[in-house]
Amino acid sequence: MVNFDRRRFLGLGLGAITATLAAAALWPVWRYLAPGEESGAREKTAVPRERVPVGGALFIQHQGHPSVLVQYAPGEFLAFSAICTHLGCIIQWHADKSEFLCPCHGGRFSAQGKVLGGPPPRPLDPITVTLDGDRVLLG
Amino acid sequence: MELKKRILDFLDLRLGVRDLLARNLTEYLLPRNINVWYTLGAVLLTLFAIQFITGILLLVYYDPNTEHAFASVQRIVNEVPFGWLVRNLHAVGANFIVLALLLHMLSVLFMNSYKSPRELTWVAGFLILLLSLGMCLTGYLLPWSQLSFWATTVATKSPDEIPLIGDAVVRFLRGGAQVGQPTLGRFFALHVMGFPFVFGLLVAFHLFCVRRTGISRPPFGPGYEPPEPPRTFHHEEHPGGIPFFPHYVAKDIAVIFLFLALLASVIFFVPGLFFPPAAFEPADPFVTPQRIKPEWYFLWAYQTLRIFPNEFLGLAVQGAAVTFLLLLPFIDRSRERRPSRRPVFVTCFFLGLMAFIGLSIWGHFS
Repeated sequence: MVNFDRRRFLGLGLGAITATLAAAALWPVWRYLAPGEESGAREKTAVPRERVPVGGALFIQHQGHPSVLVQYAPGEFLAFSAICTHLGCIIQWHADKSEFLCPCHGGRFSAQGKVLGGPPPRPLDPITVTLDGDRVLLG
Repeated sequence: MELKKRILDFLDLRLGVRDLLARNLTEYLLPRNINVWYTLGAVLLTLFAIQFITGILLLVYYDPNTEHAFASVQRIVNEVPFGWLVRNLHAVGANFIVLALLLHMLSVLFMNSYKSPRELTWVAGFLILLLSLGMCLTGYLLPWSQLSFWATTVATKSPDEIPLIGDAVVRFLRGGAQVGQPTLGRFFALHVMGFPFVFGLLVAFHLFCVRRTGISRPPFGPGYEPPEPPRTFHHEEHPGGIPFFPHYVAKDIAVIFLFLALLASVIFFVPGLFFPPAAFEPADPFVTPQRIKPEWYFLWAYQTLRIFPNEFLGLAVQGAAVTFLLLLPFIDRSRERRPSRRPVFVTCFFLGLMAFIGLSIWGHFS
């Protein structure tokens, strides 16, 4: 006559041990595969002021992401993520109109990053800018 | 339980899984005097699975380019979370696989389980051994360390002594005159895809043969008699034997965990055992490290080449020994399997084993 209580207990115990071992094996695999923080993810980006003309824009990599630095007036700098807030294309600077244009779906942003037209749902993500002598610091 | 039953019912209606499980697990009977050596097959399957999984994980970060390979391995070990564990499982695991393969082969040899009707099982198994050594050799180069580079240089140089075609064979193995990017490329392709593909087919065939022919009975005990040579196909049954599941599966699992414990012991307590200093220096084609030696499982071959004054003769002797072992079931046709009734065979077995161990130790200290 089979003792179901004992069988059930042993089965549960075996299941618990197996689950623990599986978790112990899967946790390192998960940590191994999960992308870590990229190098330079928190670093500031320094740009010489003369690289950005007045009324012009400079596209750079900042913390691993495409970004843009604009000098919309002499000595006045703004920085944004260069990724369009619609579907992630990289925006372009049109100096004649002093505005950003997304080549994918025609989204338009002002030099201050505000949406002027097209499908983008929100302004460009801003990046903190500080002046340090003849350099502009992003981040 | 209700869910489990419903899933089983669904699968059983479409695939007959209950019958399949019964015939291969609970109603699959093994000889009553089966011993622990028969667990080595399951141990090897587990170790191969670990190699396969850790190999895929290493592929995520490894860069097969001579400029970046070493740095990518250093990054895996030093920066990627648990990268050191994945790398060590793969590198140390390879050594354990060779050890388990040799033990498995020795036990099959000693118990004469290679004899008719299991010749094909033996041939497939022996080819698996050779292929595994090939995977060890090709994998050894991938970290592109001083150890990798120079061990591969020595290993790929050995066919040079073959008359007429030696130089062409060396250039073919290396992809050029010297070990370099072409060598890394072809060794990477072989290690990651070429050999594993053939290996998978051979293992599937080997397991098919084992299951189709039936487990051989250990040739020990007063009740054992050598069977008559088969005239037609016959699946060897063991009426009154012990069920594979759960009895022998429990034994399999116990020995598997013993090997995993040994593997973990080496990884955690003796991590430098298989990593000499030359393994931590990037490859430099202009600087040969002193006392470069192959890995322990190739030391017998290395020392054999050193013994013979003519390198081609040394290669020929090794080739003859390997060929003899591969074709052993077709050479040794006697019915008798009991070691107690085969003094000459047992003597040769132990002499061969001592020669292997002796040559390896000699090779290490020479």
